[in-house]
Amino acid sequence: MIDPRAVSGCVRCGTCRSVCPVFQETGWESSGARGKMLVLKSMTEGANLDSGCRDSLGTCTTCALCTQICPAAVRPTGLIEEGRRDLVLANVTRQEHRRLNRNLLRYGNTFGDGRDRLGWLGEEKEMLPKSADFVYFAGCVNSYRYPETAKKTFQILSRFSVTAMPKEMCCGSPLLRTGFDAGFLREANLEQMEAMGARAIITGCAGCYTALKGYGGLEVYSVPEFLNQRLEELDIQPLDLTVCYHDPCHLGRHQGVYDPPRRILEAICSLVEMKASREKARCCGGGGGVRAAYPELSQKIARRRLLDVPAEADAIVTACPLCVRNLRDAGGNAIDLIDLVSRALPPSL
Amino acid sequence: MDLASDLADIVGERLSCSSAELYCYSCDASQVRGRPEYVVRPKDRDEVSRIMALAFEKRVPVTPRGAGTGLAGGAVPLKGGIVLDLSSMDRILEIDCSCRQVLVEPGVVRDRLNLALLPSGLFFPPDPGSSAMCSIGGLLANNGSGMHCVKYGTTRDYALDLEIVLADGSVIHTGSQVLKSSAGYDLTRLFIGSEGTLGVITAARLSVVPLPKARRLVLAAFRSPEEAGLAVNRVLSAGIVPAACEILDRTTVEVLHRCDPHLALPTADLILFEADGEPTAVLDEAARIEEVCLQSAISIDTASEAAEMEEVWAARRLVGAAVSRLDPKKTRIYVGEDVGVPVGMMHVLIRRVQEISEDAGIPAMKYGHIGDGNLHVALFVDLSDEAEVERAKLAAHRIHLAALDLGGTVSAEHGVGRARSSYMRLQWGGALDVMRAIKRALDPRGILNPGKLDLGSGTDCDTADAGAGL
Ligand SMILES: Cc1cc2nc3c(=O)[nH]c(=O)nc-3n(C[C@H](O)[C@H](O)[C@H](O)COP(=O)(O)OP(=O)(O)OC[C@H]3O[C@@H](n4cnc5c(N)ncnc54)[C@H](O)[C@@H]3O)c2cc1C
Ligand code: SF4
Ligand code: SF4
Repeated sequence: MIDPRAVSGCVRCGTCRSVCPVFQETGWESSGARGKMLVLKSMTEGANLDSGCRDSLGTCTTCALCTQICPAAVRPTGLIEEGRRDLVLANVTRQEHRRLNRNLLRYGNTFGDGRDRLGWLGEEKEMLPKSADFVYFAGCVNSYRYPETAKKTFQILSRFSVTAMPKEMCCGSPLLRTGFDAGFLREANLEQMEAMGARAIITGCAGCYTALKGYGGLEVYSVPEFLNQRLEELDIQPLDLTVCYHDPCHLGRHQGVYDPPRRILEAICSLVEMKASREKARCCGGGGGVRAAYPELSQKIARRRLLDVPAEADAIVTACPLCVRNLRDAGGNAIDLIDLVSRALPPSL
Repeated sequence: MDLASDLADIVGERLSCSSAELYCYSCDASQVRGRPEYVVRPKDRDEVSRIMALAFEKRVPVTPRGAGTGLAGGAVPLKGGIVLDLSSMDRILEIDCSCRQVLVEPGVVRDRLNLALLPSGLFFPPDPGSSAMCSIGGLLANNGSGMHCVKYGTTRDYALDLEIVLADGSVIHTGSQVLKSSAGYDLTRLFIGSEGTLGVITAARLSVVPLPKARRLVLAAFRSPEEAGLAVNRVLSAGIVPAACEILDRTTVEVLHRCDPHLALPTADLILFEADGEPTAVLDEAARIEEVCLQSAISIDTASEAAEMEEVWAARRLVGAAVSRLDPKKTRIYVGEDVGVPVGMMHVLIRRVQEISEDAGIPAMKYGHIGDGNLHVALFVDLSDEAEVERAKLAAHRIHLAALDLGGTVSAEHGVGRARSSYMRLQWGGALDVMRAIKRALDPRGILNPGKLDLGSGTDCDTADAGAGL
C-alpha cells in the first residue's frame, strides 16, 4: 500500500523533473518523477487505476536520480514501487511484465529459458565444490545472455574459495521492481545458501546486488568490491587503453559503490569520467522493467547516455550486464568490467 | 468535430486527455488546484497560434504553462479547458556574443541557457531557487528574480523583445534588437509579469551580461533576524551594492544543516553577502561589508573558493522545499511566502512575521532576498491536521496585510496567480480597473488564464465555470 503521508511530503517543486531520464525523453508531466508522485497521490485519493497510472508508474527505470536530488527527502523511487504493487494487486499491469512474472514462476529466470542455468559452467559444473566461503551469483542476464562473462567471472573468483549455487534462481529483482511478489525466489536462494554454509554471496549484476541485499541477513559483495579488496593478489598487467566507467544505478546511487570499480580500472588502464558520473550518472534506461515493456523509451534513454561518453574513451566499462546490454543495443561499445579484468590477467588464468 | 480532434489535427500525439495526465497538470507548486480537459504540448509558434485561434473561436479557456514550478497557481487551469504546456518549445535559437543577446523559445530551462552561455563568458543573471527547472517563459510571465537581483535586477531588466501570440492567434513583437527605443508604449514590460493572462510568449530576445571575474562571500551571523535586517540597512546606506544579500534565519540554517551536515554555516541568523566584479574591487567591497557588519555581528566568515561558494548557494537555492527535513511529519505550504517591502522596512516586517507565526503556533522559516526587500516565509504544517492548515492560511493572510501596511507588495517575485488574487484590489485600488481594461482589450473573450489576478470582468470564460475550481 502506498503511504499517503510519504506521498504528501512532496512539495511539487519539480527539482526531480529536471533530472528524470524518462521525462527528458517524453516531455509529459505524468512520466516525470514529479508527475509520478502526483499519480501516486491520485491513487491514495482513490483514482481509477487505469492504463494512465500504469504507464506513468511503469515507465520508471528506478534510477533513483529523483531520490538523490529531492530537497524534501522524499523517496519517489521506493514509493513508485509501492504504487506498482497496488497496480499488480488490481491487475493493471503491462503484458510484458505479466510475462516476466510467468517466466519466473515457471522457469526461475526472466527469459523463460528452459535450459540449464549453469550451462555457462560447461563441464566444470560437475566439479563444483559443495561448500565454500563465498558463492558466486551469476544472475539471469549473465547466465543466459552473457555466459562467457559469467564463466570468466567465476574463473577469476575461483581463486578465492568461491563456488556457485547448484540451483540458482533469479534474485527476484525484476519482480520487485515491477510490483510482483518475489518471496518464492528469495526463499529458494536463501535455502541453498544455508545448505552450503557459505559466508557471503558475490554478484556481478547491479540489479541482483540490490535484490540480494534486500534479502536481509546476507553478506553481499559486488564483483568490483570483492576484487578491489584482492587487487594485489590478482597480478594485473596494465593495458594500453582508455576507458570510461558507467555507474549502474543499482550499484551507485542505490548502494553507494562508486570507488571499487574505478580503483580496478585505474590499475588496468587509463580511466576518464563520463560527462555525468558517480552520484549524478545518467541511467542506461534498462532497469525497472522499462526495457521489457517500453523498449523504445529504454533505447532513447540509452542513446542519450551515450552522449556522455568522452571522445577519448575506447570503451564504456560497467558492472552490470543489463547496462551492457542496453548500451550495446543503442550502439555503444559497452563491456563488462570482468571482460577487461580477464584481459589484464596473466595468460595462466 | 470535437475539440480533441481539432487539437489533435494541430499537435498530433502531443495532446492528452488521459485522467492521469490531467491530474498531473492540475497543480503547480502552490496549493491551488484546477483540472484541465486537454493538455497540449505545441512545438512551435505556428502551432500555438493555431491552438489560440481555435480556442478563441470556440471560447475555450487556455492556461499557458512552463515547468509548473510557480508558487501562486498561475499555471493551474481554474476554469478547465486547455493547458498549453510550452516546455517542449525549448530551443536556444541564437547566441549573439558581440551584441550580448540571445533568442530563446519559452521552454528553455534557465540553467540550460546559462550552461550554453558559459563558453562565451556571458550569463543571464536572474537566478531563482528553481533555476534548474523553471522555464524562461515562466520567469518572464512572472517577472521572476532571485538571489542576485539586488545588483542585477529582475527578469524584466533583460527582455528586449517578446514574440507574443495573442488571444485570437495573431502574432506580435513587443520590441526589437535595439537596446533603447522611445517609440510607442512599452509592451514588453506590459507582458512581463502578466502571468499568461494577456498573451502567450513564444520567443524572447534577452540581453545577457559578462560573467564577473571574481566573487567573494561574506557570511555575517547575528543574534536575531531583526539585527541582521538592521545590518543590511547599514551596508546599503554605506553606498555598497552587493551582488547578493540574503537572509537565512536560524531555522533555515538548521534545515540546511539537515540537508548537508558538512555545510560550514554557523547556527545563527545569517546574512549572506556576495561581492563580485574585478578581483581587487571585490576584495575591497567584501572588506567594507565586513567592517560595517562588525558593529553588531557575532561572527563573520568569508569564502572565495568557487566550490565552497557553490556549495552554500546550492543549498540555499532549494532550502524552501527542504523544511520537512526538520520534521518529517510536516510539509511546507506555499502561502504568504513572497511578500516584499521597502528595504528599510525589512526589520519591521521580520518582527511582525515572527509575532504572527508565534500567535498562530506555526513554526516559520524566514529567508530571502533581504537586499531587495523580499522575505520568504516558509510555514510548515501537518497536512492531515486541518485546523493547523487553517491557522497557517490565516497567518499567511496576516503576513500579506502586514506587507501592504508597510507599503509593500503581496508578491515580490512569485506572482499573484490565484493564490494572491484576492489582494489585488487592496494593493492596487483603482489601478486594478486599468489592468482590467487592458485585459478586456487584449483578451475580449477572457480565454487566457481565466480566474487569475482578479482580472475577471464579466468576460466569457472568467464568469463561466467549466467544472474546475479550487
Ligand atoms: C523550490 C523553488 C524555488 C523557487 N525560487 C524562486 C525564486 O528564487 N525566485 C522566483 O522568482 N521564483 C522562484 N520560484 C517560483 C517559480 O520557479 C518561478 O515563478 C518561475 O518563474 C516559474 O516558472 P515556470 O516555468 O515553472 O512557470 P509556470 O509555473 O509553469 O508558470 C508560471 C506563470 O507563467 C505563465 N506562463 C508560463 N509560460 C508562459 C509563456 N510562455 N507565455 C505566457 N505565460 C506563461 C503561466 O500561465 C503562469 O501564470 C521557486 C519555485 C520553487 C518550486
Ligand atoms: S524533488 Fe521531491 S519534493 Fe520536489 S517534486 Fe520531486 S519528489 Fe516532490
Ligand atoms: S527513479 Fe529515475 S526514472 Fe524513476 S521517476 Fe525517479 S528519476 Fe524518473
